[in-house]
Amino acid sequence: MAEDDSEWVLESIVGYLGSPEWVVPVTDFLENKCTVFDDEDENKLAYTEIHEQYKKLVEKLLENYMQEVGINEQQFLDACTSPFAKSKALEAVFQPVLATDDFQMFRSLMVHKNMELQLQALRVIKERNGALPECLTDGVDVMTELQQQEMKILQEVLKKSKEEYDEEMSRRLLLEKEVGSTSSGCSSKLMAECDEAKNTASALSQHISPAKVNSNPVRKEGSKTAATGGGAERSSSSKPTSDRGSDAVGARVLPAVRGPVKSAEPSISSSRHAGEQSNSSQTTSEAWLEEAHREAGFSKPYTELSTSQQEQLQQRAAYLRQQRDKLHALRKEQQKTKQSSLPEEAPSSPTPAPSTTPEAVGQSQRNGACSPPPTSPPPPPTPHCAPPAQHSSNQKEISAEEKKKLEKRKHLADKLKEEVIKK
Amino acid sequence: MGEAQKGLLSVIEKLKGSTEQEVRIVLLGLDNAGKTTLLKSLASEDVNTITPTQGFNIKSVASHGMKLNVWDIGGQRKIRPFWKKYLENTDLLIYVIDSADKKRFEETGLELSELVDEENLKGVPLLIFANKQDLATASPASEIAEGLNLHTYRDREWQIQACSAVSGEGVQDGMNWICNNIVNKKK
Repeated sequence: MAEDDSEWVLESIVGYLGSPEWVVPVTDFLENKCTVFDDEDENKLAYTEIHEQYKKLVEKLLENYMQEVGINEQQFLDACTSPFAKSKALEAVFQPVLATDDFQMFRSLMVHKNMELQLQALRVIKERNGALPECLTDGVDVMTELQQQEMKILQEVLKKSKEEYDEEMSRRLLLEKEVGSTSSGCSSKLMAECDEAKNTASALSQHISPAKVNSNPVRKEGSKTAATGGGAERSSSSKPTSDRGSDAVGARVLPAVRGPVKSAEPSISSSRHAGEQSNSSQTTSEAWLEEAHREAGFSKPYTELSTSQQEQLQQRAAYLRQQRDKLHALRKEQQKTKQSSLPEEAPSSPTPAPSTTPEAVGQSQRNGACSPPPTSPPPPPTPHCAPPAQHSSNQKEISAEEKKKLEKRKHLADKLKEEVIKK
Repeated sequence: MGEAQKGLLSVIEKLKGSTEQEVRIVLLGLDNAGKTTLLKSLASEDVNTITPTQGFNIKSVASHGMKLNVWDIGGQRKIRPFWKKYLENTDLLIYVIDSADKKRFEETGLELSELVDEENLKGVPLLIFANKQDLATASPASEIAEGLNLHTYRDREWQIQACSAVSGEGVQDGMNWICNNIVNKKK
């Protein structure tokens, strides 16, 4: 076969690989399927399936092309292995073709595409909000600081409570010594005191319900109750009273501790999130579950999930598809304006079409669940009172998971940044 | 070899035209047999932080002037049905056995006999690693070979190699066998 023959074949092939007939379906495929590709060391089983689909797509496209142009496989091979095809510039053009035969190459294509899309989402957020929400930039780990602060406050409260309790006890002991020897009236006096404690306790537990109580007095009251309650415990006659007293203390102390933490935590107290927390922590945990499952890449057979999980997954899938479609629409629009030169390599225009922007942001905010809405100021430092103790333990669980998610996201952001700088 | 792929994809395969000879090796075995540890040991990576594989791992190892692409696919029961998707164009099968897990010798034997019946693995050389020889309770390789009836395999080259993926002992011997065997077969 003549040299120049393979030369024009090669030129034609390269032209085809830069044309919309090739670029659009291939890019569509990559963008549609890249979500499950992360840069973990281990591959998910789903990758293989997607690779198979990709092979079929490329095979079909190339077959159609060769038929159209009228070249056979041998000519194709000759052209692509000719010296002209070995240049650096053409390497990138052939990469999507070679990726059919090379899983590792395909995987890196997909991982890269996924990052690209995430970066795009980040940019959209930035454009909308002026700046990236704190959880998407690097900086100090807010969560640990907050937790430390929380621990400090808790310890302080406990210390204070113990001090007051000890004080009360020594006072009482003194009193007992004074009175105990002389008369039997001491028991009635104690009883009266117990009643008093009981009254305080019940008054306090009634106090719990109103939402706005200043945190300082509350704490003091709480510790005072601890003292009186503890004192009551000493007198054997009034078990229920002491129980009540300490119950009230438990309820008191916890909200007082939660309060400042919440106020200093703008990332968590975004309106959506807070709503979710107070509504039902179960919904939240299910959302995590779902998210986790998505991140696991559906490696677990779908049928092994409970129906409610399946339903949620479907909802999530539908939602994601919707968002993805919108991003695509955006992309396609950009492509249309830029179809002249290799559109695959072309950077997408920095100003996204206005029609798709809100949705894209919606997605990113949903993905980055803890980005606060730009307009809402952090809640006032007054603590929200009276969540039962159980609820606050739930909150703790959430914040642990939240922390994990945050770390993961931060890691991702770093990765993305790195990637961008490299390119 | 290479005939299994048809039409255009085989053309693309040739297109890569790399100078090195590439070999596709699939690494299978029951869960907890030590496949991933073996893989990492082959790639000279840290073997202390390995968790059960949910998907699959790939490592490329250069050896004897060849590029060995080793695919390690998770061995948990629920993943085993996916094994056959990875067998196409395989040049060599490595099967890993936990030599100390006597209770599951039968199970591992069954899985292996199902594998060697696969059309895609017809005539493909088989290397069995009798892993975990560092454990005191490990059965010797010869005993395992007998239990698996390896001597009845007539249609392929096979070898059983005692090893410890953790210490690396015996792993290189197995690799040498692989390379010798592939070279013989491909030439």
